[in-house]
Amino acid sequence: MTYVHLKDVNVSIPIYDSHALRLIRLPAFRDARVGTDTASRSHGVIVIHALKNLNMEVEEGDRVCLIGHNGAGKTTLLRVVAGIYPSTTGSVEVKGSTFALLGGSIALNSDATGYENIKLIANLYNWPSDQYQDLVHEIEEFTELGVYLSLPTRIYSAGMQARLAFALATAQIPDILLVDEGIGAGDAQFQKKAQARVKQFVSRARILLLASHSADLCRAMCSKALVLSKGEAVFFGEVEEGFKVYAGLS
Amino acid sequence: MALVTSSAAGISGRHPASLVVRNTLLNLWKSLSWAWLDTVCQYRRSRIGPLWETINVMVMLLGLSLVSSSIFGNSMVDIIGYIGLGIIIWTAVSSLLIEGSGAFVRNAGYVANSTLSVDLYVGRAVFKTLITFGHHVILYFVGVIFALVPLTATAPLALLGIILLFVNGFWVVMVLSFICARFRDVELFVRNLVQLAFFVTPIFWNYRQISSNRQFIVEYNLLFYFIEIIRNPLLGEIPPLRHYLTVLAVTVVGFGLAYVVHRKMRPQLAFFV
Repeated sequence: MTYVHLKDVNVSIPIYDSHALRLIRLPAFRDARVGTDTASRSHGVIVIHALKNLNMEVEEGDRVCLIGHNGAGKTTLLRVVAGIYPSTTGSVEVKGSTFALLGGSIALNSDATGYENIKLIANLYNWPSDQYQDLVHEIEEFTELGVYLSLPTRIYSAGMQARLAFALATAQIPDILLVDEGIGAGDAQFQKKAQARVKQFVSRARILLLASHSADLCRAMCSKALVLSKGEAVFFGEVEEGFKVYAGLS
Repeated sequence: MALVTSSAAGISGRHPASLVVRNTLLNLWKSLSWAWLDTVCQYRRSRIGPLWETINVMVMLLGLSLVSSSIFGNSMVDIIGYIGLGIIIWTAVSSLLIEGSGAFVRNAGYVANSTLSVDLYVGRAVFKTLITFGHHVILYFVGVIFALVPLTATAPLALLGIILLFVNGFWVVMVLSFICARFRDVELFVRNLVQLAFFVTPIFWNYRQISSNRQFIVEYNLLFYFIEIIRNPLLGEIPPLRHYLTVLAVTVVGFGLAYVVHRKMRPQLAFFV
């Protein structure tokens, strides 16, 4: 059984700015309008209420897209489900292995070769050793980097680095896949390939949570939509309905 | 054990003891290979890699031996072993304190986007220091060859001291990197303190020469014990049992502290970086 159950989840993110991060504090954010429903002050630190009273029941087989404006709480929600952010109140029950495909999940070591980076990531993320060779072959095929894989990733172009990072991030299929948008980098041909890989990847995960602004991507991959607005869930249901609600948000 | 692991069960997950031990050992192995890759990359950037730091240490110990011998009126040959070993050990101590305090900030990408265990970042810093320290040990053997340092029967006992030093490195790095991730000023504070500690700890001066009413400078300096349990056996003395007991007490208290800090700060860590 794989599931994600969120009940009355509130997440407050403290902003430890250059002042708050110090032992000796100077006044900061004097102009910030704190005390609103978005931000407040707690113990001298400004806190952003990123998710408010969120309820969500995602069961095995569900593919949910998270829709909302910038700053609505999509990435925060992914981080909470992944276990990176703790919830301030409420209960978060996640059953199954998770992997969050966020911007920096894979940081390439620039002086190490492509192969060394593959080995490092395999090591850190517990790839099963008996599948290691197959996974390396798959990555070789997918990235089409050829001899570059034996060279330091420092010399790769941005697109080549993105290919390798993407291939590494999608090598292992978790039970619960959390994807933030902007997964595709590189040229058009690679974009197509990346989309295809995501589709294949997604079809093998048991639960998908996809944060995206692309209606096409959501329609193609998801069966449900969660619409977020200012940290609150305003709709959970059919994808088409969700986009209608989203369009109605101002 | 403070090195609580947190993989699939999330960052505040609880596991049975056997699994914790297994995961801790696995994490140690993983972080060792990570530190190894860091070292390989360092060699790739410059031909002699971490040996540059060894040269740095050598210049430092020659210079300080010269200064110290002029101040205290000994011959340089007499004290170079004592001072040299002191500086080699001190380099490891200071690098654990300084490099260690930035361990989470340096791995901010991973911390903010994955649920990898923090043991990995801590282990990476400690093992990197150990590998670099291994390079500096060459200077000891050079000293032995040139008969500046005696080759003593008690020397193997220094290995125990080295193990104790680096075992303590784990809790020190864990505690400091949590605090330095939350309070960014502390890293600078640590740097200053380490500088001061260098002068206060008997490294380039002999603690047997200070007046008896000032012995407390040494007695209450915990770093002194860590230096002595490595330096003493290399110079042919067996360290007093009291030194080992002090170090063991520090180890126990330190890991307790690391456990508390980890429990309190681990869930919030992604907010800090």
